[in-house]
Amino acid sequence: MKRLLRFLFIAIVLFWTFLPIYLMLKVSFSPAEEIMSQNPPLLIHSVTLDHWKDVFQSGNLWQPLTKSLTVAFSVMILALLIAAPAAYALSRISYRLAIGIILFIFFARMLPDVQMAMPVSVYFIRLGLLDANLGLILAHLIRVLPIVTWILLSVFKTIPIDIEEQAEIDGAGRFQIIKRIALPLAMPGIIVSAIFAFLFSWDEFIYAMYLCLGNKTLPLMVYYYVNRAGWFGAATFSTIIAIPVLIVTLLLQRYLKADYLAGAVKG
Amino acid sequence: MQNKWIKLKKDSWKFFFLLPLLLYLAIFTLVPVIRSILMSFEGGNNYAWLFSHFRFRESLVNTILITIFALLFEFLFALAIALFISGGGRRRIIQALILIPLGIPTIVVASNMRYLFDTNGFINTILTRLGVVGIPIDWLGGGALTLFSVVISDMWKVTPLMMLILLAGIERIPKELFEAAAIDGVGFWQRLRYIILPLLKPFITMALIIRGIDTFRIFELPLALAGESFPVLSSFAFFEYRNYNNPHTAAAASTVLFVLILIAIFIYLKLVGLPNEETT
Amino acid sequence: MSLSDSEWGVLRREIIPPFEKANNCKIETMQIEAGDLPQMLEAMSSAKRMELDLFAQDNMNLAQLVDRGLVEDLSRYKKDIPKEVQKNLIGVGIFENILYFMPYRPNVQIVYYNKDAFEKYNLKPPKNWDELLAAAKIFKEKEKVGRVLLKACGSGPTVTQLYEFIVSAGGDPFSFNDPGCIKTFEFLQKLWPYVSRDSLKAKWNTSNDYIARESVYLMQNWPFGINIINKKYKKKNIATYSGFAGPAREAHVIGGEVLGIPRGSKNIKLALVFIKYLQSKEVQEKFVRELSWPSIRTDIIVPLHFESVKNALKHGIFRKHVSYWADFDRYMNEAFVRIVIKGEPVKETLNFYAKQMDQVKKR
Repeated sequence: MKRLLRFLFIAIVLFWTFLPIYLMLKVSFSPAEEIMSQNPPLLIHSVTLDHWKDVFQSGNLWQPLTKSLTVAFSVMILALLIAAPAAYALSRISYRLAIGIILFIFFARMLPDVQMAMPVSVYFIRLGLLDANLGLILAHLIRVLPIVTWILLSVFKTIPIDIEEQAEIDGAGRFQIIKRIALPLAMPGIIVSAIFAFLFSWDEFIYAMYLCLGNKTLPLMVYYYVNRAGWFGAATFSTIIAIPVLIVTLLLQRYLKADYLAGAVKG
Repeated sequence: MQNKWIKLKKDSWKFFFLLPLLLYLAIFTLVPVIRSILMSFEGGNNYAWLFSHFRFRESLVNTILITIFALLFEFLFALAIALFISGGGRRRIIQALILIPLGIPTIVVASNMRYLFDTNGFINTILTRLGVVGIPIDWLGGGALTLFSVVISDMWKVTPLMMLILLAGIERIPKELFEAAAIDGVGFWQRLRYIILPLLKPFITMALIIRGIDTFRIFELPLALAGESFPVLSSFAFFEYRNYNNPHTAAAASTVLFVLILIAIFIYLKLVGLPNEETT
Repeated sequence: MSLSDSEWGVLRREIIPPFEKANNCKIETMQIEAGDLPQMLEAMSSAKRMELDLFAQDNMNLAQLVDRGLVEDLSRYKKDIPKEVQKNLIGVGIFENILYFMPYRPNVQIVYYNKDAFEKYNLKPPKNWDELLAAAKIFKEKEKVGRVLLKACGSGPTVTQLYEFIVSAGGDPFSFNDPGCIKTFEFLQKLWPYVSRDSLKAKWNTSNDYIARESVYLMQNWPFGINIINKKYKKKNIATYSGFAGPAREAHVIGGEVLGIPRGSKNIKLALVFIKYLQSKEVQEKFVRELSWPSIRTDIIVPLHFESVKNALKHGIFRKHVSYWADFDRYMNEAFVRIVIKGEPVKETLNFYAKQMDQVKKR
C-alpha cells in the first residue's frame, strides 16, 4: 500500500514535470491541421518535419542564434574577468570591511529589472547601443555580475587561507599565489559560474525586450511567435533554446545549490 | 606606523581587484536606480495618476495575489517533494528529473503553458473529453482564472528551487532525532509537526522571502500568457514605456515595485539576519 | 517592416533575390514592430549611424516620424510613381504638401465567417449592426459560448476597430463624445455579453487562429489570414465578405504600410529603385497571389476572395494623421475597457475622456 502511494506520487510529479516539455516537442512535430482544431489530440498521431523546415528556411533563425551565442559568450568571459578578482579580494578581507560590499551585491540581486532596464535603454538610445550586441552584453552583466560574484565568493572562501600565508612566508608574490594556489583550487567553481553566466544570458528576456528592437535574441523570437499565435514557430524556437539548457542542467546537477540559484531563477 | 604602511601597500591589490566590479555596479545599477526614482517625480504627479488609474491598481493587486498564492502552493508542493526525496530510495535520479524545469527559460515555459491554457488548449481538451465541462474554459482572458494559470505556470518553473532550499534544511536535521522518534512510535504527522517544521523554520523563512521577491518581479509569464489584460507591476511599467511612450509613469510604477522589494529585504534581514560569514 | 513569418518567407524567397540579382546588391531585412520604429530611427540618427536605407511603416504611425524629422522628403520623386497606382492611396504619405512616404501595400479589413456554422443555424452573414447582434445572440443561445469575435485585447487592433465603428455611426472618433461615439459605445456594450471570450486576447494574428480553430465563427481582420487558413491549415469552410454597415454608412479603415527613407541614409538611389520595383506590376501580382495583400495598382486581376477586399476598399477611409495618436490610442482603449468590458456608464465615461483628449490637443 505504502509502495503504491510512493509510486503514485512519483508518477504524478513526473507527469507534471514532463507534460509541458512533451507538448512543446509534440507541437513542433505535429501537422498544422491537427493542432488547429477545437480539441487537439494529446497523443502523437502523425509526425511532420514541416515546421522545422520552415524555421530553417524562413531566414529568421541565424541572426538571433548568432546574436544569442555572441552575447552569451561575451557575458560569460567578461563576468569572469570582473567578478573573479573581486570575489577573491572580497574573500581575503575581513568580514567587517567586506559586509558593506556584500550587502550591496545582495541588494543588487533583488532589484527589479524593469527599474534598471528603462533608464539604461534611454541612455543606450543616445549612445547608439540599442540593438547592438555590446549594449545587451553590458545590460546582462547587471544581473550576472552579482550572481557570479556571490557564487565565486563562496568558492574562494573554501580555499584555506593558511596555505596562501605559508606560500607568502616562503616568498611567493601575490600573482604567483593566485596562479599556483587559488586558481587551480577554485577551477571547478569557476567553470560552474561561467556556465551559470552563459545560461543566464542565453535565457534572459527582460533586458533584451528593452534593448533589442530589430536584432532579436532567441527568447525574443519565442515571444514574437507567441504574440502572433504562431504555435509552431514558438514550439520550434522553444525547443532550440531549451535543449542545450536541459542537457547542461542535467550535467550540472551537483552544482544546483539553493544558494547559487536564488535570484538567478525567476518565474 | 611604518608597519601599517607596508601592510596597506601589500594589500593594495585587493582594492584594484575590487574596483572594476564596484565601478560597474555603481554605473549600471546604482545610477539607473537613482535615475528612475528621480524620473518618477518629474513630469507631473505621476504617483497620484498611477493610483487613480484602474490598470495600475489591477497590476498592483495582481502582483500581490500572484505572490501570495504562488508562495502558498509552491511551499506545500515543494515540502511534499522534499520530504519524499529525503525519505530515501532512488532519490538521485528522481531529483535530477524533478530539477529539469529550473533549466527551462521562463519565456519558453510561458509558450508551453499556452498549449495547455489556450481556449482550445490541452486542458480544455481533456476536460471536455472527460465531460467535466460542456463549454471550454477561458483561462487567459484576465481575472481569477488567469491568476490561477499564471500561478500554476510559475509553480511549474520554480517549485524545484523551493524544494532544494527545503531539502538542504531537512538534511541538516540530526538523524538521531528521527531514530528516537521512531523508537517512541511517533507517527509521520507528529514528526512533521513537532520535529521537522520547527527545525526547518529558518529555511522556510528564507525560501519564502527570496521567492517572494522573485515573484514580485514576475514579468514573462503574465506578459506572454495574457498581455495587457492581466497586468502586473513589471509589465505595467513596460507597457507605459514601450506602448505609451511614457518613461515617467513607467519609472513611478517600477519605483512602487522597488519599495515593495525593499520592504521584503528589510523583513528578510530582520528575520534571517545579515549574510554572515558562514553563508557567504 | 513588421510582418508575420509566412509573409517574410515569401519576401525573402521570391521578391528580394531577383532584385538583388538584377541590381547586383545585397538587401538585409529586419523585422521591427511598428511602434518600435521611431525609437530605433531616433537611436540610429542620434548615433549618426543610419543603418537602414528603407523601411515600411504602418500608415497610422507616420506622424511621429515626420514630427521628429526622421524621414527624407520624397516630393521630387512623386512623378516616378507609376500611373496605375490608385491616386487616393498616395495622399496618406503627404504631410503639409510634402510627400514623405510612398504607397506599396494598402490593407483593409474584411469579415471572415464559418460557412458551416452559419448554414447550421440558417443565418446569413450580417450586413448591419442589428444583424450582427442577432447572429451573436443566436450563437450564444445555441452553443452557450459567444462565437463572434471583437478585438478587445487593446492597442492598435482595438482602436482600429473602434475607429471604423464610430465612423460607420457617423461620428468623429477624436471627439470621444459626439452622437456617433455614443451610439457606438452603446451598441458595443449591448453586444459584449454575446461575443466570444477570446475577444480579450484577439489581435491581428491571434484572431486568425481563433477562426481557424473554430473557436469563433465571425470576425473582422486584414485579408492576409485567409490564405494561411485556406491553404496552410486546409480549412475550406472559412469564407469572407466585405463587412457590415453602421447606422450611418459602411466604412472600413484603410491600413497597411507605406515606404519611407530614413534621413541620413546613404543609399537613397538604390532605395528608390527598390521602391519602384515593389510598386511594379510583377511584384504586386506576387503580393496578391502569394500573400493576399491588396494591391495599390488598378491593373491587377484579383482572385476570387478578393471580391470582398475590393468591396471593402470601396468604403475605405483613412485615419487622420495626428501627432497625439499614442494618447488617442490609450484613451480609446481605456474607454473601451471601462464601458464595454466593465459596463461603466457610457456618457459620463466618454465625457471624461473627451476632456482628457482636449487637454492633450492643447499641449
